[in-house]
Amino acid sequence: MEFLNPAALYALFLLPLLLIPYLIRRKPRRVVFSSLLLLRDFSSRSSGRPWGRLYLPPIFFLQLLLLLLLILALAEPVFSVRPVKIAVILDNSASMQALEDKNGGQKSRFELAQEQARDLLRDFSPQAQVDIYLTTPRLEQSGKDALPPDKASAIIGALRPYDLGEPPDSYGDELSRLAKEKSYERIFLLTDHPVRGQDRIIRVLSVGRTKDNLAITSFQIARPSFTSTQMAARVEIASFSSKEEKIRLLLKGGGKILSARALTVGSRKSVAVSLEGFPAYPAYEAEIEVNDGLALDNHRFAIAPASGGLEILGISPRPEALYSLRSIAGVSLKVISPEAYEKSRGEDHPAEIFLFSAPAFLPKKHTLFVLPPKENPLVAVGKNLSKPVIASWREPHPLTRYVNFALFRPAYARSLKPLSFGEAVIEAPEGALAVALEHQGFRYLVLGFDPFPYLGKENLPMSIFTLNLLEWFYEGLAGSSAATGEPVRLGGRSDKGFVVTPKGEKFLLEGEQNIFSHTFFQGFYEAVRGEKKELLAVNLRDVRESDLSNPAPIQLREEPAVSGSRSSFFSVWPYILLLSILLLLLEWFYNPPATQP
Amino acid sequence: MLPAPFTADFVNRLEALRLRTRKEFLGSRPGSYSSPRRGTSLEFADYRRYSPGDDIRYLDWGIFARSDRLYIKLFREEVDLFVYLFIDASGSMAFPTAREKFSPACHVALALAYVVLANHDHVKLHLLREPAAAASPFYAGRHRIMDCIDFLTSASPGGALEMAPSLGDHLKRLRRPGKAILIADFLTPSPSYQRGLNLLRASNLDISVIQILSRQEIAPPFPGGGLALVDSESRAELAVQWSGELLREYHERLERHNRELKSFCHKGGIHYSLFVTDQELSAFVLETLPAIGLFK
Repeated sequence: MEFLNPAALYALFLLPLLLIPYLIRRKPRRVVFSSLLLLRDFSSRSSGRPWGRLYLPPIFFLQLLLLLLLILALAEPVFSVRPVKIAVILDNSASMQALEDKNGGQKSRFELAQEQARDLLRDFSPQAQVDIYLTTPRLEQSGKDALPPDKASAIIGALRPYDLGEPPDSYGDELSRLAKEKSYERIFLLTDHPVRGQDRIIRVLSVGRTKDNLAITSFQIARPSFTSTQMAARVEIASFSSKEEKIRLLLKGGGKILSARALTVGSRKSVAVSLEGFPAYPAYEAEIEVNDGLALDNHRFAIAPASGGLEILGISPRPEALYSLRSIAGVSLKVISPEAYEKSRGEDHPAEIFLFSAPAFLPKKHTLFVLPPKENPLVAVGKNLSKPVIASWREPHPLTRYVNFALFRPAYARSLKPLSFGEAVIEAPEGALAVALEHQGFRYLVLGFDPFPYLGKENLPMSIFTLNLLEWFYEGLAGSSAATGEPVRLGGRSDKGFVVTPKGEKFLLEGEQNIFSHTFFQGFYEAVRGEKKELLAVNLRDVRESDLSNPAPIQLREEPAVSGSRSSFFSVWPYILLLSILLLLLEWFYNPPATQP
Repeated sequence: MLPAPFTADFVNRLEALRLRTRKEFLGSRPGSYSSPRRGTSLEFADYRRYSPGDDIRYLDWGIFARSDRLYIKLFREEVDLFVYLFIDASGSMAFPTAREKFSPACHVALALAYVVLANHDHVKLHLLREPAAAASPFYAGRHRIMDCIDFLTSASPGGALEMAPSLGDHLKRLRRPGKAILIADFLTPSPSYQRGLNLLRASNLDISVIQILSRQEIAPPFPGGGLALVDSESRAELAVQWSGELLREYHERLERHNRELKSFCHKGGIHYSLFVTDQELSAFVLETLPAIGLFK
């Protein structure tokens, strides 16, 4: 006999607690009787009982048996009739690196999950077949062959978590699909998420408790102006803590501490810090000194922008309004017609603005689309809107920063709907007015309104929004950092070379390879191709991983059993449950509620 | 409307019954119970010397022929009967519920009242309860059974009861001797009920006692373990560890208590009978009560 849920057997240690009500029952049950004439001296005699207050009636032993059976039923005893096929899924996302107190020391959630998985496998017979899965970068099997429990335990011990956020898919659906496709008898998911719902096959074992945490959510290095030689940094720190925290922010570059600042961050608040006037270095690191749940998100890395100025290619049949961008310092603009754009594809403009036009294919450049025609690769264009009211906007977001949306009233707009992916940054009641997305290292922004011409102080909300979007493109252009798990673009396409990861691993690059996708850890990646060296910064950007106090629950749904499938278990627990219910009825007959007049 | 146990057959059989008295009382009008006075019934009582003015129809001519003396035959007078039904309406009569104990006691009283009324005698109902003791007027005639029902259904048991003082209150207002039937659970100390019964005896009443107990009083269904037993009348609490051993001892004590009551009744010339409330009322009235001599 095996137990599918052996952890429930620990509840046996709680059985002696059943004695407590009998030991401390100070207020006995009151029963009204017609006359105590014939019972008068019974009281003194019963208190002289050698057991004292402890009186164990037969009902106690019935209750003990009932609890024992219920615990056994919870442990799900089964008789195996053929080798058991199970899957162990380990959540290896960034939040699993959070430290938990255990036995006086500290262990990461991932280590706790590994221990639990090994304990779990110990209870299965050696004939069981175990598949091991990891959740990031996507839910996939680690290794191909099914393993016996002892070998699976060894492999689980060698696994490490990644600095990655979890995939946005619903775990519940994904696991149900896996159970159906691979015919697993049981799937164990070890994660730091709470669970909602229940499933016959999927068992979620949650590790870790809610913790306070602070994180650097944004770190940008830029020149104060496009032509400045000094650098400026902007750091955003978000608190996921239940109390106010005092922290120290350090900015490092060239192996030195360039700046330090003491800060106080309120509970569940964020602060933005600007640091200016420090020299240019190839790479920078921001760090907050705080004793919190997750150390990983206390660091952020950035590469300095390669050059000053922003060169933009404008494509529009009516480009007059675009010329106003030339009044912004550091912006150089070249405007061509849509027809001429097809011929100038080879031109090396780092950013493009399509005003009232759109190309047939998505350009591999940072691109702004303003009121694109219906035939465009990103959004479906909706109905015309006159002076739309802004209903909501994404915050915090670099595009909406400092914009007063109460005064933000474009004269004309069209609602947008993303075709495949992209997030709505600004929304009117009728639909999205601005949709932003990042794809293959490029940033795209589609606007359902026309922010041009740039009027400076005359239309402050729109001007701030315009500067935000230029800065957003400029950040992307500088390649200051990429998100973990996101493929990064490499320069120099012809030479062979290699990439060294922050963990010291070396990946060889083929001659034509210009995308590197093994960005599973946060830090600096060094790409070497011939004589040319390129430094890339990669950061954890999924704030859900930093929010250790409010993890998203996993929703499980009971899937109907596949007809014709035969379980390898002969389940005993339903019979034990039935027996328990019969005992409960027996107890009810034995000890019915006392009737009182 | 008569209560459920009073089926047509049961009522018919009640009609055939008559209460038996062991004393002779002075009635108020002709009836079917013998009186200590001489009267005009068929039952011969004595002879008396003839005096001028006596009705010569009652002269015993046989004695005159033998002795040449005139004697008048005397007959017993037959009068009606006054019956007093005392019903315990204290808190203990509501255990386990009033429906299960007090109502059966009322049904016994109604059956007895019906027998009395069907024989054109008089019945008066008394509720023994403190402090609000209640008594009905005298009822006579079969049709007054509905008044008896109204009187008893409007009563509800409650409160503590000291039998002797309560009976004493009622007896102060009794003017006519007759038959007294006391219906109670007698779950009081023996001196208490003995004082009460002696009061009845002192009032020159012919006494019968019907003890009413519920099944739950004979075999208390307490769960095992610690209990705080509460007296239904005095609300006094008693902590006990209830077990099979205590249950056995309780049975013994109850049996001893009932034996003591029965013995006292026998010594005092009092009819005694025990009615357990889950018994059939008709069986009790038609079989048990005639067996103890309550009915002719």
